[in-house]
Amino acid sequence: MYLYLPVALTSINILIPVGLGLAVGLLSGLFGVGGGFLLTPLLIMFGIPSTVAAATDSNQIVAASTSGTYAHWKVGNVDFKMGLYLLVGGFVGGIIGVQAIKLLHAMGNADFVIKMTYVLMLGIVGVYMFIESIQSMKKSKSAVVEVREEKESAVGRFLKTLPLQTRFEKSGVTHSALVPIVLGAFVGILAAIMGVGGGFLMVPVMVYMLRMPMHVVVGTSLFQILFTCIEVTFLQAYTNHSVDFLLAVLLLVGSTVGAQIGTVFGRKLKGEQLKVLLAVIVLIVTVKIVFELTLTPSLLISQAGGH
Amino acid sequence: MDTTLKVQRSTFKKIMLVLVALGTVYFALSTEAFAMLTAKANHDRITIDFFYHGSTVSVKGLSDAGRDLVIKITSPEGHQVMKQKGKVAGVLWMNVGTLKFENTPNMYELFSTKKVDDILSREERAKHTIGYDALADHVEVNPTANAAEKTQWFGEFVKFKEASNLYKTDFGKIEMNDLPDGHQEYFIQTEWPYQAAPGAYTVSVYAVKDGKVVEQAESHVRVEQVGMVKTLAGMAKDSAAVYGFLSIGIALSAGFGVGLVFRKGGGSH
Repeated sequence: MYLYLPVALTSINILIPVGLGLAVGLLSGLFGVGGGFLLTPLLIMFGIPSTVAAATDSNQIVAASTSGTYAHWKVGNVDFKMGLYLLVGGFVGGIIGVQAIKLLHAMGNADFVIKMTYVLMLGIVGVYMFIESIQSMKKSKSAVVEVREEKESAVGRFLKTLPLQTRFEKSGVTHSALVPIVLGAFVGILAAIMGVGGGFLMVPVMVYMLRMPMHVVVGTSLFQILFTCIEVTFLQAYTNHSVDFLLAVLLLVGSTVGAQIGTVFGRKLKGEQLKVLLAVIVLIVTVKIVFELTLTPSLLISQAGGH
Repeated sequence: MDTTLKVQRSTFKKIMLVLVALGTVYFALSTEAFAMLTAKANHDRITIDFFYHGSTVSVKGLSDAGRDLVIKITSPEGHQVMKQKGKVAGVLWMNVGTLKFENTPNMYELFSTKKVDDILSREERAKHTIGYDALADHVEVNPTANAAEKTQWFGEFVKFKEASNLYKTDFGKIEMNDLPDGHQEYFIQTEWPYQAAPGAYTVSVYAVKDGKVVEQAESHVRVEQVGMVKTLAGMAKDSAAVYGFLSIGIALSAGFGVGLVFRKGGGSH
């Protein structure tokens, strides 16, 4: 059955957005990523204008991450304190990132920088996560705890010297309050430049730099994404008029259910298995972008707008 | 006395009516006689509701026998901004700039009895903007360094529009039927793309003889959003803040609602 989308000004088979929503919601519940980096290009592929695809996607993520955050909160997997610090940093980073994008546009090579940031960040994060989690899966039978502590001492010595040390009960870690704020800002800058929520960057940051347990990472990441996407949705609707309400509803029908299923599945998998899966997905996306960049496109012209 | 007056009045009315009717018929006949070509689109108003997935539009009319016909469906000309892809550092394809297209219709469909290049001279095609070549000369593309570059990018633009079903040229699909009175009937049915945005569209029909346009007729198709589609589209533009809050509100409650349902259903633990 086809439905007409009033803002996208196009007609779409409802199974497409519902199916895409379900798939992305599943990833969201499993890994704590918003899925914007996957869904936006898919929507464009199905004929949705790029501006509308990006804006509507963030509206949909609000629904999926509410559903996911709620499910994770019920089982005690959300570190609100950590989430708030990251949010503060992310908010500041977002403002800086938006200015950076303006500067890049003025210099005329924004697209190059954005695409290269994508490939580099996704590539590095994917490869690192993949290698690390395979290694720890091998070692996990003998000495998980030992490995953890060894690494922590290597990275953490400097962090321990910072002021404002505070305990994050839920995650079972102690950090200076500056650490999540600065890391949040860093992800915020990148997310604004790349035009995505930043979940797939935030998750590795929490796992490897903040040393939080994987299950808490997923819930906390969703909590943080929820607020980022509320802000983005409003700005997109208010300044660009590019949120398609109907498309968002179709997507969220799938994604809210998908997020719940993802959460259930996630609890059945081990943290290391989750990391390997996420690493594989990130690497697949990287390869896809590299192909897009190097193969001659069929159309040399596209609609202006979007990211 | 009163009755006579009434009868007189009603007779006068009848005479007037007959005169008006005669006049109308005469007027209709005389226009037919001067300009044979007629055009009528079956849909002068296409409405977009939630279940809209394009429509079918047929154009039919009469012309003098033996004429070739060209039917052009266009939206008003306007300004379009497109992203331009190019190679960076010899290997990477990405957006390298923007191209502005002026005097460019968002939709351009052309149907003809034969190939337009074979039945119309170059000047005539340019005069009536018939065919991609003529359209290419008519539009402005900026920034382009020379004519070759303009032709290249207009070609890419046409490819893009054809991919979204908004540009099309086709010949040999117009059905023709000779009538005994020396006229011919023509008819074409075409898919109206759902990608065509709301607005006013013009259907121009050209009768062609000896490489020239000898007659021209016009009809209009209006595409409009109705009902909830119209309300939502209007709200997104005119009350953007309310629309934004509404979108967020629905997303939050949907997410929360589904969360609750799953808890109640005992789906997880």
